Amino acid sequence: MDNILAQSVFAVVCVVSLSALYFWLSNAALTALGGDVASWPTYVRPWLFAGPALLFLSLFLIYPTLQSVFLSLHERMPGRTLEFVAFQNYRDMLGQPKFTEALRNNLFWLVVVPALSTALGLVIAQLTDRLRWRTFAQSMIFAPMAISLVGASVIWKFVYEFRSIDLSQIGLLNAVVVFFGGQPQTWLFMPFWNNFFLMVVLIWIQTGFAMVILSAALRGVPEDTIEAAIIDGANPWQVFFRIRLPQVSSTIIVVWTTITCLVLKIFDVVFAMTNGEGGTQVLANYMWSQFTRANDWGIASAAAIVLVLMVMPIMLWNIFGNRQ
Amino acid sequence: MKNLLKSALLTTAAMASTPAFADGHLKFAPGSGDFSWETYETFAAAHDLNGQTLSIFGPWTGPDQEFIESVVSYFEAATGANVSYRGSDDFEAQIVIDVEAGSAPDIAVFPQPGLAADMASLGFLTPLAKGTADWVKENYAAGSSWVDLGSYPNASGTKELFGFFYKVDVKSLVWYSPDNFADAGYQVPTSMEELIALSDKIVADGGTPWCIGLASGPATGWPATDWVEDLMLRTLSPADYDAWVSNELPFNDPKVVQAIELYGQFVHSDGYVNGGSGTVVATDFRDSPTGLFTSPPQCYMHRQASFIPTFFPDGTEVGVDADFFYFPSFAEKDLGNPVLGGGALFAITDDVPAAHAFIEFLQTPIAHEVWMAQGGFLTPFKSVNSAVFADPTLSAMNEILLKATTFRFDGSDLMPGAVGAGTFWTGMVDYTNDADAQAVADAIQASWPR
Repeated sequence: MDNILAQSVFAVVCVVSLSALYFWLSNAALTALGGDVASWPTYVRPWLFAGPALLFLSLFLIYPTLQSVFLSLHERMPGRTLEFVAFQNYRDMLGQPKFTEALRNNLFWLVVVPALSTALGLVIAQLTDRLRWRTFAQSMIFAPMAISLVGASVIWKFVYEFRSIDLSQIGLLNAVVVFFGGQPQTWLFMPFWNNFFLMVVLIWIQTGFAMVILSAALRGVPEDTIEAAIIDGANPWQVFFRIRLPQVSSTIIVVWTTITCLVLKIFDVVFAMTNGEGGTQVLANYMWSQFTRANDWGIASAAAIVLVLMVMPIMLWNIFGNRQ
Repeated sequence: MKNLLKSALLTTAAMASTPAFADGHLKFAPGSGDFSWETYETFAAAHDLNGQTLSIFGPWTGPDQEFIESVVSYFEAATGANVSYRGSDDFEAQIVIDVEAGSAPDIAVFPQPGLAADMASLGFLTPLAKGTADWVKENYAAGSSWVDLGSYPNASGTKELFGFFYKVDVKSLVWYSPDNFADAGYQVPTSMEELIALSDKIVADGGTPWCIGLASGPATGWPATDWVEDLMLRTLSPADYDAWVSNELPFNDPKVVQAIELYGQFVHSDGYVNGGSGTVVATDFRDSPTGLFTSPPQCYMHRQASFIPTFFPDGTEVGVDADFFYFPSFAEKDLGNPVLGGGALFAITDDVPAAHAFIEFLQTPIAHEVWMAQGGFLTPFKSVNSAVFADPTLSAMNEILLKATTFRFDGSDLMPGAVGAGTFWTGMVDYTNDADAQAVADAIQASWPR
C-alpha cells in the first residue's frame, strides 16, 4: 500500500514538474529568440503550448481510430500476418444475429434512456424547485451519480436476483413480488423486457445529472417573464410549458445529447449484469467479446467503427450545433 | 526527491522479485505414504535449475490454486528453481491480452485446447520437447487421443505437440442422493431409456427429477453445452462428433438440432426441472445441486462434471450423502459407452529451460499424486498409485475415465473461441429460454469464423 502510494505521488510530482518545466523553458526559449511581440513567436507559441496535448491526442485517439479502420479491413492469419479482405469482416458481422440484436438493442437504449432520464430530471427539478428541503431531495436523487457503473450494476443485480420460491428471496424485486403472493421472476432473462431492466440502471444514475443541470437552468429563467405570465392569467401548467420550458430548451438539448453519447457506448452495465446473454447484447459488449473471446480483431474493429460512425453525428451536432 | 525516486525504484524491484514459495514447505514429507517417491528423487537428481525462475499463469484460483502451488513446491524443492503461479477467473481473455502484448508467462495452463490452438497458429507457443508425444502415447490411457488434442498447426501450418494434459475432468456423471433414491424406491438407471423412464416416473410420483442451473457469470450457458455434447455422443458416432467440432458437420445440421432438442426434452418437459425451465438460466450452476439435499428433495438428479462436489452444501459426504452414476447411453443405439471429459493443458509460452523441465516434471507420477491426494483431480496417467486418491469416489471416476470405450473432449472447448466461449453459450441460453432449436443452431453456424 505504502509502495503504491509512494509511486503514485512520485509519478504525479514528476509529470507536473516536467510539464511546468516544459512550458517555462519553451516560453523562455521563444522569448529569447524573438524580440518583437508581433513577430513569429506569437504564432508559434500557441502551437508550442498545445503541442503536447495534440501529440497525446493523436497518439491515443487518432492513431487508434485509424488503426481500427485498418484492422477492420484485414483478417489476421496464422503466423500473425494481416491479409486485406476489404469489407468481408463487415459482411460477416452483418450475417451474425448477435450483431443485429446488438444494433437493435442499442437503438432501444438510444431512444429510452436519454428520453426518460431527461424527462424525469426535468420533472424532479421542477417539483423540488420550491421545496424547503430541496437540497436534501436533490442530493438524494443525485447520489447515484457518485457510484461507478459497475458498482451500480452489482447493486441492481442484487435487486433483480432470482431465487426459487422455496428459498428466502435476497432480491428486492422478487421479495416484493413474493410478499404480494406472486412467483419470483427471472427479470434479467425475461425476453425483450430484460433490456429495459438494464436501462433502469442507467436512468437511475443519469436522472440526477439531468436534474442538477436542468434545475440550475430553471432557476436561471428570469422571474419577470413568469410574473408577467401569471398577471396575464396563465395557470401553472401554462407557465411551465409555455414560459419556462422554452427558455431552458437549449439546456435540455445539451443534457439529452450528453446522455445519448454515453448511451451509445454503453458497456459496463450490460457486461457486469448479463454479458449480453438472454437477448441483451449491445454493440460495445459485442465488440469486446469479439476481441477477447473470439480473438477476432477484424470483426471487433468493424464493430468499433460502426460504433464510432453512430456516435459521430451526435458529437458533431453537439459541438457545432451549439455554437449558434 | 532523490530519496523518493530511490524508494520508488526499490519497491518496483522488490515487487518483481518476491518469491512465491519458500522452500521446505512440502505438503507431504518425501518418503511418507503411498506416493511414488523414487520418481521424485530421480527427477531431483537429474535436474539442477538453481537460481532460475519460472512463471506460470492458469485458470485455477481458490482451493485449486493452493493445490497447484503445492505441486509446484515439489518442483522447486527438486530443482532449486523459483516458480511463481498466478491464477485468474478471467484467464481466457487475460492470456490473449498478455501474450499479444508481449508479456507472456513462461507457461500457460489452457482449459480450452481451442484457445491453445489459436495461440499456436499465431506463433505464440513453443513446441514441447521431442519424445514428449511418444511418452504421452505410451503412458496415458488412450494416449494417442491426448497427443491429438495437444497437437496443433504452428504458424507455418505444420502440426506439432504444444500441449501437455494434466488434470482432467469426467463430465458424463449424474449426481444423486442414495438416501432419497432408497426412500422413493428408485433404481440407478443403466440406459438412457431407463433414465428417461425414471424421470417420467418421478414426475408421475409428484417429484421433480432434475436440477439444472446455467448461470455462471460471464460464462453463463456452458453447463447446457455439456448436456448437448453428452447427448451428441449418445445419438451420433464419434466421427460425427469430431466433424461437428471441426464444423465439417455444420452446427445447423438436422443431426445437431436433434441433439439440442433432446436436451430440450430434459429441460422443457413439464415438471422435469426444479423451478421450471424459465428459472434454469438464472440459477447458478454452483447453487443448482443444492436441491438434491433438501428435505423433501427439490430434485433427484443433477448432471455435472467430477468437480461439482466442491460446491455441495457443507458437510455433504461424497460416497454417503451424494453419489454419482454414469450418464448412460441408449441401449438401442450401438455406440458403446462414450465418456465426455475436459482437461487443462500446459503449454510453453516462453522458451526457457525451466519451462521444459517443468513439463518433464509433469511426467513423473509424483506430480499427479500430490494433487490426487488432496482431491478434485483425475488423471489418465497409468503409472500413478491410485491408493493415494483422497476419496474412493475419485478412484471410481478415474475408472470411468480409464475404461471408456470412447473418450471425447468437451466440444465447446475445442471449437474456436467465438463459438465455444461465445455463441454456443448464448445460444443455449436463448434455447433454454424457449427459442427455436433450428434458429439457435443457424445463429451459431453464422458466427463460425471462416
